[in-house]
Amino acid sequence: MRTKNTILFSLISTFFLIFLISIWKILATLQGLSINSLNIEIIFIFGFLISLAHLLIGDRIKSIYKSIIFSSIFVFCDGYLIQKLPIWYNVGVFLILYFFTNKISKYTFIGLKEEHSTQIILFDFLTLFGILFFSFVILFPFYMMLVTSFKTQIALLVNPLDFSINFGQDIKDLFKSYFVIFKSYKFGKYIVISSIVSVGTVIITLLFAIPAAYAVARLNFFGKTFLSTSILIIYMFPAIVLVIPLYTIFSQLGLRNSIEGLLIVYTATTLPVAIYMLQGYFKSIPKELEEAAILDKLSWFGIITKIIIPLSIPAISSVALYVFMIAWNEFLFSLMFLDNPNSFTLSRAIQYLSGDAETPRQYLMAGSVVVTLPVLFIFVYFEKYLVSGLTAGSVKG
Amino acid sequence: MANIKFTGVHKSFGANKIIKNFNLLGKEDEFLVLVGPSGCGKSTLLRMIAGLEKIDEGEIFINDQKINELHPSKRQTAMVFQSYALYPHMNVYENMSFGLKIEKRPKEEIDTKVMQAAKILKIEELLERKPKQLSGGQRQRVAIGRAITRNPKIFLFDEPLSNLDAALRAEMRVEISKLHNQIKTNMIYVTHDQVEAMTLADRIVILNQGNIEQVGTPEEIYNDPANIFVAQFIGTPKMNVLEINEKNVISESSIKLLGNEIQFDKLKFNKSKHFVGIRPEHLKSNQKTQYSFNPKIELIENLGNEKIIYLKQDEYQLSAKISSNLQISNSIGFDVKDVFVFDQNGKRIQS
Repeated sequence: MRTKNTILFSLISTFFLIFLISIWKILATLQGLSINSLNIEIIFIFGFLISLAHLLIGDRIKSIYKSIIFSSIFVFCDGYLIQKLPIWYNVGVFLILYFFTNKISKYTFIGLKEEHSTQIILFDFLTLFGILFFSFVILFPFYMMLVTSFKTQIALLVNPLDFSINFGQDIKDLFKSYFVIFKSYKFGKYIVISSIVSVGTVIITLLFAIPAAYAVARLNFFGKTFLSTSILIIYMFPAIVLVIPLYTIFSQLGLRNSIEGLLIVYTATTLPVAIYMLQGYFKSIPKELEEAAILDKLSWFGIITKIIIPLSIPAISSVALYVFMIAWNEFLFSLMFLDNPNSFTLSRAIQYLSGDAETPRQYLMAGSVVVTLPVLFIFVYFEKYLVSGLTAGSVKG
Repeated sequence: MANIKFTGVHKSFGANKIIKNFNLLGKEDEFLVLVGPSGCGKSTLLRMIAGLEKIDEGEIFINDQKINELHPSKRQTAMVFQSYALYPHMNVYENMSFGLKIEKRPKEEIDTKVMQAAKILKIEELLERKPKQLSGGQRQRVAIGRAITRNPKIFLFDEPLSNLDAALRAEMRVEISKLHNQIKTNMIYVTHDQVEAMTLADRIVILNQGNIEQVGTPEEIYNDPANIFVAQFIGTPKMNVLEINEKNVISESSIKLLGNEIQFDKLKFNKSKHFVGIRPEHLKSNQKTQYSFNPKIELIENLGNEKIIYLKQDEYQLSAKISSNLQISNSIGFDVKDVFVFDQNGKRIQS
């Protein structure tokens, strides 16, 4: 069992190392280094030897020294002797190796003796492979977007596949695309419109969704089950089905090219899911809390504002975040309803830019970055509110 | 300073009749305990007093004022929930003062009331904490404190101790008893735990399937149970009840039981089925008694200060509670004064 596990561990960890180094090499190539081969055989041998040596040395050397020694040896042999590449590349390799040796440091000969350790090894490395693969797939388009937005027209035409950023140039040149889209393409105005539409949608949706969700979760009224199931049925209509009739209605009402029109449509599309998410959370709030509030002379309105809402901050903020992202990124309705550049939202504006054959690619990409960043920052900021568990301590346990 | 009166109260959930014709007259400043097995309607009764459940039929009066249609907040009751129901987003002080704040009372009044309640319950140091930073016992104290600050005429306790561990439960039981001596108001306490009922109550109401089985002081309930249900519900282990058929009724005043012919002075029997009850603590070993029998000892449970002995005699299974310092012999005895006799419907036969 020990031999089998040892071989399995060494092989898997070696493949993991090859995977890491190969990604690093591909990224380095995109930065303009000329690397001719991936040198998989050499990495394989080194990786295998490092894994075995790690097991053999065990606890005799402190693990931090062990990691540094292994990493240095690898960098020296691979990077310096064989490939002779610049120092930043080798620092990257060193960090990868350091990460790798830290990851394998929990495996010991004693641990590998246990029968279930085969599963543990497989599972550990599968998770790592998965995380790496998906982050690569997701982050790479972002990277491309960012890099392109920092380039000049000439650079793009000369070598479209060059993914490096030239930090040597003047800051003004580097951010030129951003200056241009704000100055010539009025992106500042689009940001304001998009923000008004998104924040407005969030506020209106919550204003409707909180009482509605409370009613569905707690009150008994005629047609309650029908209502709560039909909420989601509405959501199953594809938006494209609704667009044409809405277009004619909005044209007649004069709601096209107006923020109010967008607010109505966005609220209508996000409301079902908002109600559905909130009512699930409201149901999880212990009923005794509300009964205690009734005895404390609170009205229904008071119960919602003073008890339910403070306790549902995690749920409400995640709903708000969801609605905001939908409204911010929404494209189909804004494409159909907005045709006056004075009332464009960001996503509509980008479509307008790309429709124009003369718009340079780097401006488009700068616009995309501007669309993406706010959502990213808001998500990172609100993420801490998404952790639930606020009701802890109110009832037993 | 209040009394509570129920006249013909009914309650049903759908086709399920929870409470049937409930009549009771509470005394002033009384500690009333409603006790019964789960599903007997005791919590529903409490929630009807608080106004959290509608009263289907009948009336409830507090101080001769009908409260059926009164809003829960105007009934001048305060409820302590089994799950405490503290507001998790407020600290202890805010929890206790919330009701007063809603009433828009002046700040100084709120402050003095909260501090008074905190002093009574010894939770002055906890006022800044959030409920999740408190232990179970402390939470329950805060919940009681919240009830005190409302200055109610009637306190309602809905199984307040059942989420606590055994040691804490005993401690809180004493605290609640002291509290009642201190603030002298009506308290209605729902529990399924007979120990709580016996120790806390001025009067106990024993409920079964929506009916009152007996109302009385703990002594009356223990010494004079009205029927088999009450007799078996109070006391651990529960009372031994033996079925006696008509052949064993020898004469109007004597029956044959466990190989003995037992003579009763004051009771009269007719020739029919009877039930005879003896509490386990009244079965004695190695002591002088009027009657005795020699059962087979099946099992002895040692509880330290006492032993519970499981016996078998003829077709009867019995249990006996005997002090640990007594020798256990094969001869078990009992006195006629400790024997309860019930008729074939389970009603007590009294002189």
